[in-house]
Amino acid sequence: MIARQPLVLGNKSLKDVTDDICRLVETWPGGKYYAALLSAKGLFLFYLCIQGMIVAFGMGMQGISHPVMWGTDIITFVFWIGIGHAGTLISAILFLFRQKWRTAIARSAEAMTVFAVMTAGLFPILHTGRPWLAYWLLPYPNQRGPLWVNFRSPLVWDVFAVSTYATVSMVFWYIGLVPDLATIRDRAKNIWRKRIYGALSLGWRGTARNWNHYEMVYMLLAGLSTPLVLSVHSIVSFDFAVAQLPGWHTTIFPPYFVAGAIFSGFGMVVTLMCIMREVIPSFKDYVTLHHMENMNKIIMTTSMMVGYAYASEFFVAWYSGNPIEQFIFVNRAFGPFGWSYWIMVTCNVFIPQLFWFKKIRSTIVPMFIISIFVNIGMWFERFVIVVTSLHRDFLPSSWGMWHPTLYDTGAIFGSFGMFFFIFLIYVRLLPVISIAEVKPVLNVGKSGAHHG
Amino acid sequence: MTTTENSLKNKSPKYWLSLEQWRQDPDFQRLAEQEFSNSPLREDSGSEGGWARREFLKLMGASMALASFGCVRRPAQAIVPYVKRPKEIVEGIANYYASSFVDGGETFGVVVTTREGRPIHVTGNSSHPINGSGLSARAHAHVLSLYDPARLTGPTKNLQNEKKTNHDTVEVTYEKADQEIADQIRKGKVAILTGSIVSPTDAEIVADFAKGTGAHVYTWDAISHEHYVDAQEHCYGQAVAPRLALEKAKLVLAVNCDFMGTWLQPTQQMRDFSKGRKPGDGMNRLIVIESLLTLTGSNADTRYRIRPTQSTAVLMGLIQELLVNKKTSSYAGDTSVHAILKNYENEIKAALPEAAYAKIAEELLAHKGQSLVLGGNDVSSQIAANFLNSILGNDGVTVDSRRSPNMGFQGKNRNLQALIDGLNKGEIKTVIINNVNPAYAAADKTGFVEALRKAEMAIYVGRCKNETGKYCDFVLPDHHPMEGWGDVEGQKGVFSVRQPTIEPLYNSRSFGDTLIAVAKVGNFGALAKADSVYTFVKNRFETKLHTNWTHALQEGVVDTVTAARAANDSARPFRVAALQMAAHKATPHADLELVLYPSIGLRDGSMANVPWLQEFPDPITKICWDNTLIVSPKLAQDRKICEGQMVRVKVGDKSVTVPAHIQPGLHDSTIGLALGYGRTDAGQVANNVGVNAVHLSVVRDGGVETSGLPVMIEPTKSYETLANTQVYSAMSGKTREGIDMGHRQIVVEATLEQYKKDPSANIEREKIVSAWSGFSYTGYKWGMSVDLNLCTGCSACVIACQSENNIATVGKKYVSQGREMFWVRVDRYYVGTPDEPDAVHIPVMCQHCDNAPCETVCPVAATVHSPEGTNDMIYNRCVGTRYCSNNCPYKVRRFNWFNYPRMTPELHASPMHMQLNPEVTVRERGVMEKCTFCTQRIHQAKNQAKLEDRKVHDGEIQTACQSSCPTNAIVFGDLNDPKSKLSQMLAEPRYYGLLEELNTRPAVQYASKIRNTDVLKSEESPHKEKHHEKHEEKGGHHV
Repeated sequence: MIARQPLVLGNKSLKDVTDDICRLVETWPGGKYYAALLSAKGLFLFYLCIQGMIVAFGMGMQGISHPVMWGTDIITFVFWIGIGHAGTLISAILFLFRQKWRTAIARSAEAMTVFAVMTAGLFPILHTGRPWLAYWLLPYPNQRGPLWVNFRSPLVWDVFAVSTYATVSMVFWYIGLVPDLATIRDRAKNIWRKRIYGALSLGWRGTARNWNHYEMVYMLLAGLSTPLVLSVHSIVSFDFAVAQLPGWHTTIFPPYFVAGAIFSGFGMVVTLMCIMREVIPSFKDYVTLHHMENMNKIIMTTSMMVGYAYASEFFVAWYSGNPIEQFIFVNRAFGPFGWSYWIMVTCNVFIPQLFWFKKIRSTIVPMFIISIFVNIGMWFERFVIVVTSLHRDFLPSSWGMWHPTLYDTGAIFGSFGMFFFIFLIYVRLLPVISIAEVKPVLNVGKSGAHHG
Repeated sequence: MTTTENSLKNKSPKYWLSLEQWRQDPDFQRLAEQEFSNSPLREDSGSEGGWARREFLKLMGASMALASFGCVRRPAQAIVPYVKRPKEIVEGIANYYASSFVDGGETFGVVVTTREGRPIHVTGNSSHPINGSGLSARAHAHVLSLYDPARLTGPTKNLQNEKKTNHDTVEVTYEKADQEIADQIRKGKVAILTGSIVSPTDAEIVADFAKGTGAHVYTWDAISHEHYVDAQEHCYGQAVAPRLALEKAKLVLAVNCDFMGTWLQPTQQMRDFSKGRKPGDGMNRLIVIESLLTLTGSNADTRYRIRPTQSTAVLMGLIQELLVNKKTSSYAGDTSVHAILKNYENEIKAALPEAAYAKIAEELLAHKGQSLVLGGNDVSSQIAANFLNSILGNDGVTVDSRRSPNMGFQGKNRNLQALIDGLNKGEIKTVIINNVNPAYAAADKTGFVEALRKAEMAIYVGRCKNETGKYCDFVLPDHHPMEGWGDVEGQKGVFSVRQPTIEPLYNSRSFGDTLIAVAKVGNFGALAKADSVYTFVKNRFETKLHTNWTHALQEGVVDTVTAARAANDSARPFRVAALQMAAHKATPHADLELVLYPSIGLRDGSMANVPWLQEFPDPITKICWDNTLIVSPKLAQDRKICEGQMVRVKVGDKSVTVPAHIQPGLHDSTIGLALGYGRTDAGQVANNVGVNAVHLSVVRDGGVETSGLPVMIEPTKSYETLANTQVYSAMSGKTREGIDMGHRQIVVEATLEQYKKDPSANIEREKIVSAWSGFSYTGYKWGMSVDLNLCTGCSACVIACQSENNIATVGKKYVSQGREMFWVRVDRYYVGTPDEPDAVHIPVMCQHCDNAPCETVCPVAATVHSPEGTNDMIYNRCVGTRYCSNNCPYKVRRFNWFNYPRMTPELHASPMHMQLNPEVTVRERGVMEKCTFCTQRIHQAKNQAKLEDRKVHDGEIQTACQSSCPTNAIVFGDLNDPKSKLSQMLAEPRYYGLLEELNTRPAVQYASKIRNTDVLKSEESPHKEKHHEKHEEKGGHHV
């Protein structure tokens, strides 16, 4: 029998684990951290200025125009929503399947989900012509008739899907944090620290009864989140699939979007974990190469799934016999935005195939580079779907192009500023690895570890 | 203890609820007091338990006041109601006044819609024999020129220095100005410079004034038809501009003559031409031989390309074919004619293949007396065309020179030249200029300005201070046509009234009244005793035309030639000697020839400061906000010119630099450049838009030559972004990347033969299976039909819609980003090769689909279907997700990307807002908008019908686009009424829905275009790659 690879390296004791993980929360950060935080904050402020200008003057500041009425904002929205999926998948589905290797990365993946959804959630609001009225998309009792939302519109489904997703992810993440918050509370010496973490840990005592309830709730929430992994991006894909626009009107979209979302989500987790391993060397023992390799395997699998989806779209277009449908797809690959299609295919289908080599999938530098390509490729996937379908549809008289402006670039990169700013704050305020979940996977006290 | 108990007992209540109450516990008492503390009846100061109500209100009021102190509300604007309401005005109800409008020499009978005393819209006067209900884009736009911010507001005097350049402008009174002018006129040597006068009253006043003062009258038009009139004089001895009786023509041959775009009376000509356009036996046929691709050429059944200088040769070739080869006419034996033809021999061969001559000649012969030959903008081709018309017996039938010819188009460059000479020689000391702008539009504009400086006094009477007014001593504001009285005789015997529809906005005075006032001060002849223009006009209608004045005002027109117009006239004898004028001059062809053409939107540039016209997409190039050098795809390839590349154009020693536009269908040795652009003193909108190309024209023998000018071009290294509203122009074939676009049923064409065999020829109907039976419309069901066979693409509907529906102009920058706001656009597609394409036009407005894709996707239900079949847009509910536009297969939805009055203030300057239609919401930034089928007009008619307890009559509702259409290509009506015109039309098998295969069930139906030709361009050759698109796409947006 082949010995299982240990999930935590370095022969840690239980105390080592607590110390290692809590150290981040309990010590003042160094200069590198401040540098990173300030640059993220700078980017975030730039983002606020960009979005402020757009709100002040109008959506026309961005490159979208007739006929490409959706652009950067929607692309980046779908991109961030997709990113979030890995978190839910790792925390919920892998939990239900008792995949223990998830423990080290689950917390950060969930945090990433929450922050990605926060980042994403701003886009649909800010992309509207009158964002100050965006609350009209919510069905609430009102004095206008009452006037309800149009339940037939995929955008309304989107509102429900994304808000549910945001709520459930946040609750799930928070519940998972409770035992660890209690640990920090218990170790705290400062009275305010004690009080704040005390309040956040919801009176956790670590009793058997506590643990019993906790495990139950956690599993229930995992069960509740599991369909969300599938439903959210399916519904986001309905924004396109329900429209009658060739290139959007495709039944393959829901599974294709979900696969793509998991793909991009794992890409982002790998990116973040590579950085985290480098910045906090002690974490190398928790987030081991074994973990990274597992994620890379998932990336490679989902990469082939999206590759299949790309191919099947072309097949269906050809098989449909619909000339406009056929045109749209050929135009995607060989039209004026053909470069974006090939960026997408290269980044999403070809480059991840390098993970067939064990050497590559278990070495940090190549996997980091590949994960960046995956992120780029998945942004372009949404770009290809949104822009190339819209720019040439039925009537050639209305064909046009899409020319990005400073406000497009600002929105894309600025949103990373927002994400990383929140993420960096999180790193220093909350335990980035689940102490409570890592401890059970240690070999400490397990006799079999020494003899079996 | 006992005492306490007792004292407590004394104070304690008789009935108690709790022990605390009995004990009178202070805590309890405090609580009991506050139990009903939120009662409004409670008035205590509440010093202990937080804030009391009054204090709270005070604080709240103060904090509200403080909070609102920082945010200033928009200033209150008082609305003052009428103290005494004029009896003809009911607030909220429009008034309609019959009037007329003159544009160059083109005349229109119009009905002006006014709301609360403001003209807001113009429609055609359906009882007017010239234009009927149709109007041109310019006629629609002239309502906005009333509110032009650049208008003169009162009489001014320019104080000239020694160098005769203006150093200051001062305001003067009319009395002072009149006195000074009259004093100056007494010195004699007076000249009056006007455009063609089509008003009998103005003509009479000017004549009287000239008689009284000894002044000479010089007539000059910026866009000249002098060659047409001169040729008539040479050929028939009559300096007349005949009416083209196109309704009688079965075959029209136009050689470099854009009679649908800018030649003579295009609106009337389109209207008359369309009368013979009904598919079936007797459908007319249009052959166009031209150098540029004009609007007329785009409507041709058969089109040939020639060089501009070959116009005469082509016509001579046909004369040769008819006289020499077919010996058809009495002139066949005339040796002088033979000699001239002999001279042209090589030219004829070079211009067109022999077979073409034979074919056209045969057709002309077959339609003797039923055809019309039109020549280009030069004397010799006009003479040749006249000769052909005479040979073919068209004179007097389709060429109406006596019964009701055009009264305008009398202006000649010779006259302006004479004025310049007179000024230079000192024979003219005083010039009065009315509403023409030679300092901008004359071929010899510098010569004119230099000459004008030599005048002792120049008086400019016009609406706006412009390039010419700048050099004049007195600048007297003229009324806008909507402000003053007048009359128009556009064609002989057709008298229309021009009545004021608004009190003059400024301190202006009509030209006629100015002359009368000056005559009174100076006591010049009979005019000194005249009263005003009004009395002249009234007098004319009452005593000379013997009509009831009120009736004339109501009808707007008195037509004295109804019968004569329909009847035929005898032919005039043709003076063969005139042909000598057209004899071949051995001028070698230049490598490249330039044509300066008036653009359909701007023409002579006089209304250039109207933003609608600047943003009017040219019906052919679809470019606005610029004049471009149009070059053929082949020439562009040879000379390596890209779309938008700046090209230096040199004619002789004069040059301009303009961006290039690659235009399919152009002759490869021809380049074109539009006039009317490059104003310098027109106002904020027009100044420095495009370049003024007029000085490239050549003055020869006193006349202006604008076509066939030998030209050199040098592409430069700089580029300009063009505001192109339609970048792609092919319906099938391959894109520039070589991608097959697949077959798309957009504009369906069929030849007449195909149509006769199968009226629904070439229409592919998809069999659609739907699980849903659809909504049943029980009341009205509004629908529209567009007959593509009648639509000429003139785009008048675009401006009509803009005027009716308060559609914002966005300016060049935003049009080039694709942000134009038109609710109806006219798409122009090319069929065939880029070198020799056919063009088709299709107006596309919201199709009001029964299964509207936009409706289902709107998250807030801001666009919904009405039970009458219209797709309604609720602006105040729209949050602007723009999903509707993405899902609209017709892409007719327009989004307010910005607050345009804020982003482009110069296009929305006061008082232009006075034109806004109060019936239509002005849309906010961030909302979607689109065609509503003129819902305000539907509701108005329905209200009226309800008051009268009836249903809406068929035809009672006319949408703005429908009423503007010169050819009546658009019909609106009730699809549920089987007797409505619309229902009956749609029974014709020629109708189809645009993209009907999507099962959108559009309420707009299009009728296929029938070409009276043997074979369609789409069928004759396999689709070649469209080279031009490579450049178009690049230049259409950012380069």
